[in-house]
Formats: sequence, C-alpha cells, structure tokens
Amino acid sequence: MNYTTLAYLLAFLPAVLALYGLLPRRLRRYLLLATSYLFYLLFSPKLIAYLLASTAIIYFFGRWMAKYGAVPAAAKKRRAIFWCAVILHLGTLLFLKFYNFAGWYLNALFTRLSLSASLPTLTLVLPLGISFFTLQAVSYLADVYKKTIPADGDFWRLALYMAFFPTIMEGPICRYSQTAEALSAGENLKYENICFGAQRIIWGLFKKLVIADRLNPVVATVFNNPPPYHGAVVLFSAICYTLQLYADFSGCIDITIGTAEMFGITLPENFRQPFLSRTPSEFWRRWHITLGAWLRDYIFYPLSLTRFVKRLGKKARAKLGKHLGSVAQTVLPLLAVWICNGLWHGTGWNYLFYGLYYFALILLGNLTEPLTAKAAAALHLGKNSAVRRALQTVKMAVIVVTGELFFRAANLHQGFALFQSIFSGFQLSALSSAMLAKLGLSIQDLAAVSVGLALVLIVGILHEKGIHIRKTVSGWKMGFRWSLYIAAILAVLIFGAYGAGYVAVDPIYANF
Amino acid sequence: MIHMEQLLSILKEINPDNEYETEDRLIDGGLLDSLSLLTLVSELEDAFDIEITPTELVPANFNSAKAMWTMVQRLQQKP
Repeated sequence: MNYTTLAYLLAFLPAVLALYGLLPRRLRRYLLLATSYLFYLLFSPKLIAYLLASTAIIYFFGRWMAKYGAVPAAAKKRRAIFWCAVILHLGTLLFLKFYNFAGWYLNALFTRLSLSASLPTLTLVLPLGISFFTLQAVSYLADVYKKTIPADGDFWRLALYMAFFPTIMEGPICRYSQTAEALSAGENLKYENICFGAQRIIWGLFKKLVIADRLNPVVATVFNNPPPYHGAVVLFSAICYTLQLYADFSGCIDITIGTAEMFGITLPENFRQPFLSRTPSEFWRRWHITLGAWLRDYIFYPLSLTRFVKRLGKKARAKLGKHLGSVAQTVLPLLAVWICNGLWHGTGWNYLFYGLYYFALILLGNLTEPLTAKAAAALHLGKNSAVRRALQTVKMAVIVVTGELFFRAANLHQGFALFQSIFSGFQLSALSSAMLAKLGLSIQDLAAVSVGLALVLIVGILHEKGIHIRKTVSGWKMGFRWSLYIAAILAVLIFGAYGAGYVAVDPIYANF
Repeated sequence: MIHMEQLLSILKEINPDNEYETEDRLIDGGLLDSLSLLTLVSELEDAFDIEITPTELVPANFNSAKAMWTMVQRLQQKP
C-alpha cells in the first residue's frame, strides 16, 4: 500500500484522520504510532523487527548517555556508548546493503589466491525505509551526544518519531527537534490544514501519475535494453529519466508532507525548485534537501573540524593562500560526504561513480570560484544577468542529466556505454513521433507530460518568488476556487497514467 | 568595541554581500554556505585564539554577528 494507491488515499488516510479527530488528545499519538506500525506490517511483517530494534537501541543508549551527561570524567564512556549505538546502526545497514557485493569480490580474491575459503551468498532483504530511519536514528544519537537535545525518556514519542507512516518509505529525513514534539502533541485537526494538506497531496499525485509514470515506459525501454539505442534517443531518455525522477520523488514527498500537514504537522521540505540551481553545490541544497543537510551536519562539519583536518587546513592556507587553503581543508570531508551519498543510494559502482562525479564537480566549482567571479566581472555579467543565468542553466542541465544517466544505468559499464553512445550518430530526426511511440511515449503521453511540466515550471517560479499558492487561491471567490480544485482532481483522474498498457510504478526512492 | 569590528571585517572579507550588522538568519537563511562557514571558523580561531569544536557549530551560534561574538567571548573564557 504505497502512497499513490486508492487503498491509502481513500481508505487508510481518511480512516486515520477520522479516528484521530474522534480520540481525546492524549491518545492521538498512540493512534498515529499504531497505524504507523500497521502501515509497516502491511509491507513486511517480519522486517519490522529492524525498526523496533533501532527504536529500542536509540532509546536505551540515549538514556545511558544521559546518565553520564553531567560527569566530565565520564566523557570517554559517553563517547564509547555513542559509537557503539552508531556502529550497530550503520553496521546493520552496511551489512544488509553490501555483504553480497563485498562477498562476490572477496570470493574472487580467494579464488585468485587459491584459497578454499568462500563467503556464502545470503538472501538479504532490505527492510522498508531502513536507509531513511537509520539516518534519523543516528541523527538523534548524535544530537543527544552533542547535548543539542536531551535524551528522550518517552519511549512512545521516540517510537513515533522513527515510525511515522508518511515518512517511513522515502523521508524526508527528519531531525528529532523538528518533528518529535509535534507528532506526539495530538493537536486538534484544523479545517485549513486538512484543505491545504489535501491540495498538496493532489499536486503530488499529479506529478507522479501524469508526469513520472507516463515517462517510465520510454526510460525503461532504453535503459533496460540499451542496444540498439544511441544518439538522440539515449539523450532524450536520460532527460526523461531526470524529469521522471524529479516528478516521482518530489511528488511522493508532496503526498508525504501533505499527509502530515492534514494532522497539523510540518515536515521539512525536500525540494526547492532544484532546476533553478546555478551550481552543483546549490543543486544539492535544493534537491533531496534533508539528505544533503544530514550529510553536511553529521559528516562534513564534524570531519572538517577535527584537529587533524584543521591542522591540514592551516598548513594549506599558509602554503596556498586563504582561498585554496580553505578549499584544501574541505577535500577529505567532501570526499567522505560524496562517497556516503553515492553508496547510500545503492550497491553498485555506478552509484559510487555518481557520488564521486559530484565530488569532483563541487570541488572544481569551489576551486575556480574566484576565477569565474573575475571572468564574469570582466564580461560585465552581473549575478542575475540573463546571459549568465542562461549559461548556468544550460551547464546545470548537462551536469544533472549526465549524472542521472549513470544513476539509472544498470551498472557502471552500461553507464559509460550509454553515455558514449549519445555521440555516435546523433540525429534529432531520430526522435520522430513513430520512434517515440515505439519506445512507449505516445502523442497523448507527450502532450500530458508537456502540459504537466509547464505547470510544474509555473508553480516552481511562483514558489521561488515566495508566493504561497494554496493560501492565495483560498482567498479567491468560491466559484473560481472550486473550479480549480475540481480541475485538479479531474486532471489527475483523466491524465494520470493508468489503464491498459500502463504498469503502476512503485515510488523510485522507496528502493533506497 | 575593537573586537566586534574585527569580527565584522572578517565576515565582510569572507562574503561581502551580507549585512552583518542587522542580519540574524545567516545560517537558517542559507546566506553563509558551508565553505564560507569553515573559512570563518578557522579565521575566528586564529584571530581570537579559541577552539571551535563541532558541538559549537549550530545555527544559534552563527546566525548573527552578535551570536558569533557571544560564542567567541564564551570560548575565550574556557581554560
């Protein structure tokens, strides 16, 4: 029962809302927790053990750290408790994700060395949401360790923070201080929250069903069976995948955030018009925002401020000057961040490549920042000049689409093969409507997707200008308002990808 | 205060676009990115002879020049 199914939208969610409204305030958190566990059990009855174990570990280890909190002499003990809990979490995640991958290579090595040892291949299933709730757990532990937050003595509040059903599948990755209190507060339902939340859900459904799912066939055709596709067809598919991934992931996040909003709970945003970015660094502050923020706060800054890295930085600044020295200080922390980003997404060399790709681009961008500023000044191109923005938009389009091509490829080898194939026999005429139809993108699909993307662009520009669309519309006359709402619902029902010839597409990020 | 002016000039050199006298959302508003923040941390450590640990790297300490100055003074008093 994922977020785009009728079961969720017309049965589960309304039922939870109704019960929530009927229950007294102090019982509402237990309802949310029970329904969250029910939601999880519907996916995997056995694997809920991981979620429960993770919750128990952070509860007990958090309180254990708090026990030694006021005693300066026990700092070493606190650190040991912290690292024990973190290693339990990350170790489990790494084992489940990488055991078979590493085992394959180790076995190959053993064979080479003529050793009879061999690691058995295990059938390991990744529990739903483990990549997401593990990061939430580690962030809680780190915040308790740093004493940014006190350890929570309320087990059920912590459990709900970890298990909340809208965020369990694909995030956003929430910090304890952002959501734990509000989730447990049991605030009364408000008409405005329910309306705005429902509208956001419809918008998310629109993106997922009208845009993402209609693009899926053409992407699947080319990426799952690369030969004989090449040239413009491959490039077109890579662009379609980029748009599909954005519409799918941000659409599901809209449903998630809209669901929480109906209960009066504000979740952190995960997307902020990423295609308006000017640099790769900015892109990662606008795309999958909560993952970038997690990596920045729990890997980048802690590593950058270790004595070792600070010393390196000081030496680098002395030898290379302020700017280059500062950039040099960030090399190792950035590398750690991007390796983690790549591997978090999947078990494959192409994911590692994806991480290192952005590492290289961001490092290069930071290194050359003074040069580009000088060049822009020399050419009289102000920060917001149309020419500069156009160049940056084209640059970012190339960077992002290339990255996503490798991300989607079955493996690194296929990624390179596909990338190279773009340049062999490139002809725009290859993208005839007959070819597109053969690939799975009919004229109707193309029309629906184009209109959908145009709407997404308009909404994005309005959001960038700080306009709260739902609030603005709520101020319109009733006739106009309801026309828009009904049009939106009809758009999803009529133009969404379902019916003969379409396969319901699982949310892409639920696989991570 | 001479030291506050020193702090402001460090900030202006790292990123001259911000109004440090009045701005109080330097981190939350994304006005100081991570590279600038790291440069700032090393400049502050050198200029005021303090050690800024990861625990200190929270928005509350860096959202405004005033907050930074409060943190610097507190760290200077540490043994």
